[in-house]
Order: sequence, then C-alpha cells, then structure tokens
Amino acid sequence: MTVIVLPATSTPRLVGNETLKGLQLAWRRRALLTTFVLMNGITFLGIRLLIGGGHIVTPLLAVTLPALLAYAVAQTAAMQGSGGIAEEINGGTLAQSQLCPASPQRQVLGRLTALTVEGLATAVPLALVFTLGYGVHYRLRPDVLVPAALTVLDGLGYALLIIALTVRVVSIGAITHVFGMVIQFFAGSFVPITVFPHALQFAVKFVPTTLGVQALNTTLAGRGLSAAWANGTVPWLIVHAAVSLTLGWALYARTMRRARREGGL
Amino acid sequence: MRTLTALGNEAYKGLLHAWSERLQILIELPFFALFVLLLGPLLGHGRQIAAGHVHWSLSSATTTVLVLWFVPFIFFYMQVVKLFWRLLAEIQTGTIEQVYLAPLPSWLVVAAGRIVAATVETVLVAGATYGIVSPFVPIHLHWTPAALVPAAAIMISGVGLSLIVAGATLVWKRIQLVNDTVLMLVMLFSAAAVPLIAVPAWWADTARAFPLTAGIASLNNLMLDHRSISQTWGTGGLVPLMVTAAGYLAAGILAFRLGDHTAKRRGSLARY
Repeated sequence: MTVIVLPATSTPRLVGNETLKGLQLAWRRRALLTTFVLMNGITFLGIRLLIGGGHIVTPLLAVTLPALLAYAVAQTAAMQGSGGIAEEINGGTLAQSQLCPASPQRQVLGRLTALTVEGLATAVPLALVFTLGYGVHYRLRPDVLVPAALTVLDGLGYALLIIALTVRVVSIGAITHVFGMVIQFFAGSFVPITVFPHALQFAVKFVPTTLGVQALNTTLAGRGLSAAWANGTVPWLIVHAAVSLTLGWALYARTMRRARREGGL
Repeated sequence: MRTLTALGNEAYKGLLHAWSERLQILIELPFFALFVLLLGPLLGHGRQIAAGHVHWSLSSATTTVLVLWFVPFIFFYMQVVKLFWRLLAEIQTGTIEQVYLAPLPSWLVVAAGRIVAATVETVLVAGATYGIVSPFVPIHLHWTPAALVPAAAIMISGVGLSLIVAGATLVWKRIQLVNDTVLMLVMLFSAAAVPLIAVPAWWADTARAFPLTAGIASLNNLMLDHRSISQTWGTGGLVPLMVTAAGYLAAGILAFRLGDHTAKRRGSLARY
C-alpha cells in the first residue's frame, strides 16, 4: 500500500496565503470598490436629506455616521465574502481547496482577514469625507478603539454567517441585499435607535452592528468607555460579537462538512 | 412559434428560480412592511430626531404615499437583484454560453425569464405588504385601469436598468456592492416624485433622469391626485413616462450587447 504523506502546513502561512489571495482579488476590483464608496456616500447624503426634510442636520449626521461606517464594513465583508465563495463553488475551485490538509475553518480565517481590510478600506474614506466635510466634532480618545474593534468583529461574525449560508442557500445573494437594508435602517444609519419605540429598541439589539454603533456613539460623545460599559452596551456587544462569530464558525464547518458529504461543493 | 416556446421556457425557468427563492420572500415581507410603517414618522423630522423626539403615529396620507413609492421599488429591486445573481451564477458555472445557442437575441433570453418571475413575486410581496400595512393604517388609493400604463412603463424601465446591470456584470462580474447602492439611489431619488418632503431643486432635477421617478409620479397623479392619464408633459406626464421607459430599455439592450461583445472579445463570457 502506498502512503502519501501530506506536507505539514503551518497555520500562519496558510492564513497568510488566503489573506494575500483575498487582497489581490480586492485590488483587482479596486475601481468597483471606489464606486461603491462614492455611491454609499451619496446614498447616505440622500438619506440625511430625506430625514432632514431637504436639509442636512449636522447633529443627526454625527450620530448616524458611525452606523454608516459599521454598515460599510459589515456589508462589504458579507457581500464580498458571499460573492467570493459562490464564485469558487460555481467555478469548482472551492472543491480543490478542500484537498489541502488544513481545515476549512483555518482557510476561512485568511478570507476574513482580507475582508476586514476590504471593509475598512470602504469605511475609512467615508469617515474622513463626512467628518471633515461637515465639520463633525468627535472626541477621539484611545478608548474609542475598543468599541470600534468589537463592531468590526461583530460585522465579521455576520459576514461569516452569510458566507456559511452561501454554501447551502440558493438565493443568499438576494437575501444579503435585504439583510443589508435591515442593517442600514435598524442599526442606526437612518436615525439613531434611541428614537425607536421601546419594544423595537430591544429587538434591534440583535441586528449586527447595532450595539457596536451605540457603544461607538457613547465613546465618541466623550462619555468614555466606562459609560458604555456601565450602561451594558459594551458587555452585550462582546457577547453579541462572540456569539455571531461562534455561530458563523460552527455553521461554516457544518455546511462545508455537509457539502463535502453530499457532493455540494 | 419557436420564439414563443423559447420565451415560455425561459419564463418557466424564472418561475422555478423564484420558487427556489421562496425563503427570501418570507424574509423580505415583514421587513418591507415594517420599513413602510416606520419611515413615515421619520421623514422630514431631522431636527426633532436630533433632539430625541419622534412622534410615532401613523398618518394615513403619509403611509399611502409611502406604499405608492415603495411597491414599484420592490419590483425594481426584485428584477435587478435577481437578474444579477442569476446571471452571475450562470457566468460562474459556464452555462451563460448556452444562451448564445438560442435563436433569440441574448438580451431577450436573459430578461424574459426574469420579468415574469419578478412580476409574480412583486404581486405577491406588494399584495402582502399592502395586507400587513393596511390593518395598522387605512390606505386610500384610487384604483383605475389607467394605472396599468405607468405600471407597464415601470416594468419596462426596470427591465432596462436590470439589463444595464447585466451588461456590466458580463464585463466586471462581481459588482454586487455597486448594484446595492444603485438600487438605494433609485429609491432615494424617486422620492422627488411623491409629496413626502420638499426636496432641493437639484435633487428634483437629477431625479428626472432616474428610471423609477416618472412612473411613480404618474401613479401619484392617477391614484392619489385623481388626475387623468392624458396629461402629456410635466412630472408623471405621458411623454416623460414613455421617454424614460423607452430610453432605459434601449440603454439596457445597448449596455447588454456592449457587455456581451466585450466579454466575447476577451473570451471571458464565462468566469474570468
């Protein structure tokens, strides 16, 4: 009997390769990404004009801008992640990647790293344009980075869930569009969720990025991370991000196992 | 006869796709209805919202206008998004090349199947949205057969826009993020066609070039203002309505043909 010894693959190298692949593909689509940033900016302005009755209400712009940025990260990661894996499934290259000795979960780690960079690359220009363009004044302190990082992780958890579902659900592309609209509206980029009716305020906390945006707004208003911790937003945000990442991780492993078993790759 | 059979087959395929996407419709329905219900009290109240005050009451007049604005958008959304994803899957799997073996023009094969399915889905989703919203607040629309004219024009414009997106998809493939924002822009700018808020002049002027605006304005004239369909000029008049529909369809066919010509020349019709 011939035994084929599979080469040992180090996790950092494998993750690095997947990240590099994702970034190279993102760079190839840079013109489309730029168009997305531009159009997202116009859309945000349009929403602000609709809500403002034809005027830009700067205080409202300031409290809804973090939600736009969170949406940009989450939706870019979800859409590009879902599109990428669908492309590989349809093209047959995802099946090839399963010949690698590394687990699908380790492979998706690299994919998520690239999607994080791509998501941030869409959010940062929007943040700069609106903050500088409208003279929005935020109190930027180092503790803002905590809710910002947690919001990104929460968005990635959502993206991972969508990526996992792409392997299983036929119409996930169109569903992701709907989820995107849900995040836009219910996570605070139309109006802050604090003005929603009480029952809805509770329900929207389950929407990806809502808690992150709330925590960001608290810290950006200068009330400090301790205030966001004390009102329960940051602890719940940690739980939310952890749950969505774990769920996404588990679902991805499950759908990939099932696809391998049933020949659905 | 062969043409009709081919078109019928495409429509049937589109309906099969729609059935396979029934989960999505179930997810969409409550969201669309909730969106309509919640948006009403927010429009134009930026200063009160910034001060933390929103009066969450449903106005019959505002909700009626929102339904009239949103239902045609649902058609646009379904036609464009689903044509895009279906086409993308066909590009990635390589079956798009089979389209060119059919005796019909490629743009017609691509558009035909989707439009029947999108219409059926839209009727279902729009009917259900109407059904969910109306118990909360009365909706007063003047139903008239003349409304079929703007409805048809909206469908034609929708097909045109979806063909433009489809043509771009053949060349650039992964354009879902752009697709997403195009639809949001179509929705936002068409707000200029309904009496919700006073939009700035530049917005109203720009909105005229968007595919949904003329159709919604015409529906507004007929179903809310009880005006005749015979109005020729002005927002929602017959001429802008027809010009928009014909213009977008022509632009769509042209964009699709340009897209497939480019992809065939590059040898990248399927995948890359």
